Order: sequence, then C-alpha cells, then structure tokens
Amino acid sequence: MSAATRKEQLYGFWGSVAELFRIALRAIMGSKMRSFLTTLGIIIGVLAVVAVVSILQGVFQSFLGQFEALGANTLFIRPNYEMFSDRREGVRRLKLTYDDAQAVAQQVPDVRAIAPMLFRSDSIAFRSRHDTTTIVGTTEAYGPISDVNMETGRFLGPMDVDSRRKVCVIGHDILDKLALPDQCLGTEIQIGRDTYTVIGVVEKLGGAFGESDDDRIYVPLTTAIQQYGNDAANQLILLVQVRDAAHMDSAVERISNVLRRQHGLKFGQTDDFRTFTQEEVLKQIKTFTNVSTLIVVAIVGITLVVGGIGIMNIMLVSVTERTREIGIRMAVGAKRIHVLYQFLIESVTLSTLGGVIGLGAGWGVSLLTVWILRKTVSPTFPAAYVPLWVILLSLGFAALTGAVFGVYPAVKASRLDPIEALRYE
Amino acid sequence: MTASGDTLIEARDLVKDYPMGESVYHALRGVSLTVRRGEFIAIMGPSGSGKSTLLHLIGCLDTPTSGEYVLAGSPVHTLAPDQLAELRNKEIGFVFQTFFLLPRANAAENVELPLIYAKIPPAQRHHMAMEALEFLGLQTHAAHRPNQLSGGQRQQIAIARALVNKPSLILADEPTGNLDSKTSENIMGLLVRLNQMGNTLILVTHEPDIAAYAPRQVRIRDGLIVSDELVGASGKGGGS
Ligand SMILES: Nc1ncnc2c1ncn2[C@@H]1O[C@H](COP(=O)(O)OP(=O)(O)O)[C@@H](O)[C@H]1O
Ligand SMILES: [Mg+2]
Repeated sequence: MSAATRKEQLYGFWGSVAELFRIALRAIMGSKMRSFLTTLGIIIGVLAVVAVVSILQGVFQSFLGQFEALGANTLFIRPNYEMFSDRREGVRRLKLTYDDAQAVAQQVPDVRAIAPMLFRSDSIAFRSRHDTTTIVGTTEAYGPISDVNMETGRFLGPMDVDSRRKVCVIGHDILDKLALPDQCLGTEIQIGRDTYTVIGVVEKLGGAFGESDDDRIYVPLTTAIQQYGNDAANQLILLVQVRDAAHMDSAVERISNVLRRQHGLKFGQTDDFRTFTQEEVLKQIKTFTNVSTLIVVAIVGITLVVGGIGIMNIMLVSVTERTREIGIRMAVGAKRIHVLYQFLIESVTLSTLGGVIGLGAGWGVSLLTVWILRKTVSPTFPAAYVPLWVILLSLGFAALTGAVFGVYPAVKASRLDPIEALRYE
Repeated sequence: MTASGDTLIEARDLVKDYPMGESVYHALRGVSLTVRRGEFIAIMGPSGSGKSTLLHLIGCLDTPTSGEYVLAGSPVHTLAPDQLAELRNKEIGFVFQTFFLLPRANAAENVELPLIYAKIPPAQRHHMAMEALEFLGLQTHAAHRPNQLSGGQRQQIAIARALVNKPSLILADEPTGNLDSKTSENIMGLLVRLNQMGNTLILVTHEPDIAAYAPRQVRIRDGLIVSDELVGASGKGGGS
C-alpha cells in the first residue's frame, strides 16, 4: 500500500536533476577556495577569449557599420598602391585625378553621380584653440551619394566648387575640438594657413573606429587643390554611385575600361587602380571575421582541455575524499547512476560556474582595455561588443569540458563497492 | 506481537570467501537462518567471527560467494547491484557503530537521505524526516550538523534515517559500540520500542548484556552458527 502511494510521489527526471544540482552546489560552496582554484583554468580560458573576441568584434562591428552605410549602389576607387612593394613609390607614380572622374561620369551611363575626394590631415584653429583633423576636399555630389544629413546650414554646393570658395562643412566632433559657439554658421576658422567660413554642420554619425567620420571637415575640391597643390590632386579617391545596384558588376567593368583608357594601359597590363564595392568589402570583412573566430575557437578548445584536466584531477581527489559519503549514499539506496550523475553534475556545475566567472571577468578586462585604448591610442576606439554566440560558445564549451572530464571520476565513484566505500578511512 | 508466522528472511548455506593473495579467507562457511516478520534477533560472537559479514549479506550490501538468500520474496543472491540498491532503499534501514552521517548535511537532511533515492519530492520528504525526528524527540535539533550533536544524538539521527522509509527490516551493527553505558541503555530501549511497534530487528554485538535485550540469540564462531536459541522475553527489555 505504501508502494502505491510512493509511485504517485515520483517527481521525475528533472526533479532528480534539480536534487543532484543542489547536492553539487553544496559540495562546491562547501570549499569555495578549492572550487575556485579548480576552475581557474576554465576561468582564464573563457576570460581570454571573451576579452579578445569582444574587442575584435567591437572593431568589426564599427567597420561593418561604416561600409553598410556606404550603400549597395556605391563603390569607391583608389590608386592600386599594392602594385608596388613600397607604398611611397605608388604614391609617387600612380594617379587618379579629377579628369578621370569627369571621364567616368561622362562615358559610363550607369553612373548616376561621382564625387572625387582629396584627403589631407591638417591643423585647424579657432581663436586660441588648435587641433588637427582630416580635411576632405570634394564636390557637391558627395552629399547625396553619402546621404549626408545636416544638423544646421547646408552642404557644399556647385557654386562653392566652381568659384573655389573658402567655405567648409564641419563634422560634429569639430564643434568640441575648436569649442565653436552654438551659432557657428558664418564663423571663420583656420585650416592650415587659410581662413574658411563655416556653412554647415553634419549630424553626428558616431560609431566609426580609429578616426571618426565626425572628425572631419569638408571643403570644395577646387579650394583644396589650390591649398594642397597638384600632388594631392593626383591622388584622389573616387566615390561612385550607380543607377542600379543590380548592374553593379557591369558598371564596374565599364568604369574600369574608361580608367584604363584614361591611363593608357595596354592589353595585359594590370589595373593601376582598385575598385571596392560594398559587397566585396563586406565579404572580405566577414572572411576575416570567420578566420579570427575559428582561431579563437581553437584557442578556447586548447585552454579548456587544459582546464578540463584540472577539473578531472580535483574531481578524482574529491571522489577519493568522499568515498565514505558515497558508501553511505549507496547503503541507503543510491544506485550507480545516482552516484554517477551526482559527480557528473558537480563537475559540469563547477566548470559552468568557471565559465560564468570567466565571462564576467573577460567582459571587465575588455571594458578596461577599451578605456585604456581610448585614453592612449584613439578617443573614438569602438566599444567592446560581446555577441550572443560568444556567450553561448564559452558557456557551452565550459559545460562540455566539465561533462567530458567529469565522466571518468564519476564512473569511478559509481563503481565503488558499498562495503569497501563504507570501510574507507 | 510475534504472532505472525510470515517469513521475512530465508538464508541457506551462505558462504562468503575473501581472496587473500594466494589463498582464500572463508569469512562465512555455510550459514542458514530463517527470520519471521516482527522478530528481534541478536547475532553474537567474538571479533572476527563473521558477524558483520553476515549482516552485510542480510542487508543486501554484498552478495554471497555461494548459497541462497531470499528477502521479502526477492532472491537476493541473483540480483544486480542496482536491484540491490533498490531493495536496500525499500526494505532495509541500517544503524552502524560509527553512525555514518553526512558531515556537511544537517540532521533533517541526513534523515531525508533514503527518501531522495526513493524519489519522494522535497516538501514531503522534509515532512517525513521531521516526523521521524519528532518520534525520537529530536525535532529541535533538525538544523544541527552531526558535529554539533552528542554521540547518542547522532545515533538517534541514524536510527531516524533507518526508520524514515518504513523498511521491513532494521539492521544494527554494534550500535552502542561507540557510546557510554548510560547512552547505550537509551539506544537499546529505543530499539526495543521499535521492535514492540512491529519492526523486525537484527542486532550484531559482541557484548552479552547488549545481546540480552533480544529474545532470540544467534551465536556465530569462525563463520558458522554455533547456537540459535529463544531465551524468551528478555531480562533487560521487559524486566527493569
Ligand atoms: N573485504 C575483506 N577482505 C578480506 N577479509 C575480510 C574482508 N571483510 C572481512 N574480512 C575478514 O572476515 C572476517 C570476519 O569479518 P567481520 O564479519 O567483520 O567480523 P566481525 O564483525 O564478527 O568482527 C575477519 O577476519 C575479517 O578480517
Ligand atoms: Mg563487525
């Protein structure tokens, strides 16, 4: 009769797991320092991975953000510096000019707009404030292609370019850098040795890495060429918008043909320029991301095996120390599977806790690293970013390590003879 | 109270050999024993005579080298380790000389231990453990750990643990061996009371005055039963 009531009282598999989990937690918390030292291998492994991956991912994400903003119907073209083993030689011998841009715009019907860009780093000043920033000499076409949104004022117009006006459109960071007044339109600032009038402020973009797109000043291309000379004018980057993203490939081919003709390249000679579409760049970034992920996963694997050996070691010691306990449990009715699960769940719990600690510590380390990099390398260094897959991967690996390396000690415990276990001193 | 003729234990020609290097040590050489439900038996004999070995076989902690052993209808000598575990869990409560409590668990948790493996849910388990502790008047010590309790209290916790699953058989191996004589009397009084309530009880001891509590006394020497006599109502249990 009591057997019948007992059957109704069965509380199933998960009830038993919860039970064993409680027993495991009690054993782990019973010797906190030892548990901590046992999982140190796993903690350090997960910590290293999370720190490295979150910083890399932060960089990748801001990189991706930049190129996604480019749009599927845009590409850019720059001199093929990779032709020369020495980049300085490339800078001396290669050319990509305003004429090239004009030729492309006129001869390729697929091209809707083209914005040549001249990049220069230069000093800037307003009243007593001095700083440096990136000067971008370009045309009115840049605004619509890059989808520039203005906070106040306007972007460069055709008249500014045609008349070589000394006007500028500033990125959002410049407001702070030069401590410009709230109403800054019409203010005159120094760029290099010349004075420019501010005609617009670009909305804050945020999120870019290294040098931010907010840390820029746009000036008319013609004015920039006048200020920086012909050498600078020969090293342009062309930002091209095509009419239809679906015909990107044929557009790229036609643009290449026009540029080859412009540069007098013969059949068989390599292009002295390179084109980059959003699709290509994204593919490259993703390949790089995948490769680094694979490397990281391999490192996790190795560290966790080392951590796992640590866990196995201590679990074996623990089984020996608790031989008496195992004997008592068996005497009152624990089956082999109960003892096996007890120790297996203990090692999985131990290693997963190690994983959780490692995750937290890794996140802390990456926050600290980013903070230091922002103080030293670049104030706009992108924030660390921990993708969900990293959390799942590290915790999964940690748990798996506990399971794999916990099997042997657990089996050993479950195979003990009850009498011998009870007799064990 | 012993009116029932219902057989609980039927052991026939139990032999237990221990390999000792080249040779073999014969701890039990052919022991036969029949026990009815409700009996109280003391197994006596000098140290090393095989008392504990026999009790372990009876308690399904071990299997005989040869011989047959039937407990509550189950042919124990044919069972696998996990089936033995289940039988121990359902049918047997152990009381050991050194108590064998889990040091990190408190009294109530120690008493609950057999119920965990009987898969009884936590709330009900705790309730049953508290009932057993109350029966022994130890409910106020439920949260104490073994090292916060006296020897006698520890043995009472162990007895509560042996009782909690309502087993057919309670086995006690030198239960007073680590206790002073006053505490021993208390523990023996408790065991006698359990027997009077209908529990079958087998007690191993080498002390005659402890054995004297039992109405049936089995003497064992060198792995053989040398006498098995009913001494009637025990002098101590009933008299004093
Ligand atoms: N696992 C074992 N291996 C070898 N010999 C054993 C083992 N267990 C018990 N013995 C021997 O069997 C004999 C009986 O032991 P035991 O039943 O514990 O005696 P008792 O309980 O009567 O003092 C002893 O001589 C003991 O040394
Ligand atoms: Mg003994």
